[in-house]
Amino acid sequence: MSSRRSRISEEEINELISKLQSLLPETRRRGAGRASAAKLLQETCNYIRSLSREVDDLSDRLSALVETMDNNSAEAEIVRSLLRS
Amino acid sequence: MQATKSFEQAFLKHLLRGCRLSAVSYKSMSLQERKSAIKLSADVAMASARGGRKWTRGLITKLSKEDEHRSFLQLILGTEYGRLTKPCHGSWKIPRSKKIVRRSLRVCSRRKNNLRAPHGVKSSVLARTLVEKRTHALKRLVPGVESLDGYSLLDETLDYVISLRAQVDLMQKLLTTFEASKLGALSKCTLPERKASFVGK
Repeated sequence: MSSRRSRISEEEINELISKLQSLLPETRRRGAGRASAAKLLQETCNYIRSLSREVDDLSDRLSALVETMDNNSAEAEIVRSLLRS
Repeated sequence: MQATKSFEQAFLKHLLRGCRLSAVSYKSMSLQERKSAIKLSADVAMASARGGRKWTRGLITKLSKEDEHRSFLQLILGTEYGRLTKPCHGSWKIPRSKKIVRRSLRVCSRRKNNLRAPHGVKSSVLARTLVEKRTHALKRLVPGVESLDGYSLLDETLDYVISLRAQVDLMQKLLTTFEASKLGALSKCTLPERKASFVGK
């Protein structure tokens, strides 16, 4: 990360905005134009909330399986196979 | 845009550590406590695997607020805990860009409004207020960004969203793998007469 004293260009801001837009699930947009700032912020907030809910749900399901975790070698195997995929 | 392989490794390592710790104290925990412990582990794992951002520091700080959480965090993170809670000194302050972003957002909404509704002042004020409202909502959702605006805020948000997606993805993979290995273990002991050919290991 370079220390930037110079201004951030409008191009860089636009690039950041479109990167964020591309992550959001709302892909069917009628116009070719970019969504408004307010819409972008709202969609981002909604997306973050839904991702958090997914994490909550996954945590619940994991906690049910965690009780059987006492075997260290099984875990290492699991992590290895995961990182291979 | 995706999280890196090193992020995946670090995340899984810490999450599994947290899971193991929860398993050990399993009998003394209520169901709700176990769920919270896993969620806590996942968030800590995500923040520490990413490291070095405003949101990662903000998240660890937020999670450390409760005493019980803090000791759990220290167990998961070990010596990294101190590093992660140190105040950030490498962050770049770009006050000038905040003005640019605010100005360009204001110009955007004014331009749009002038084309549509010549009542001018009211609608652009409304648009600005809506952006402000939504910005405050965003700041409540992304940890550690209360003091940020414009480019910095969007930059942290983008990074946070990418990390959240990776978190979900990895937890899903972990869950699938656990379920599969549990099934494998079950079929090994409950179906001894069946040929073990289909059981992977």
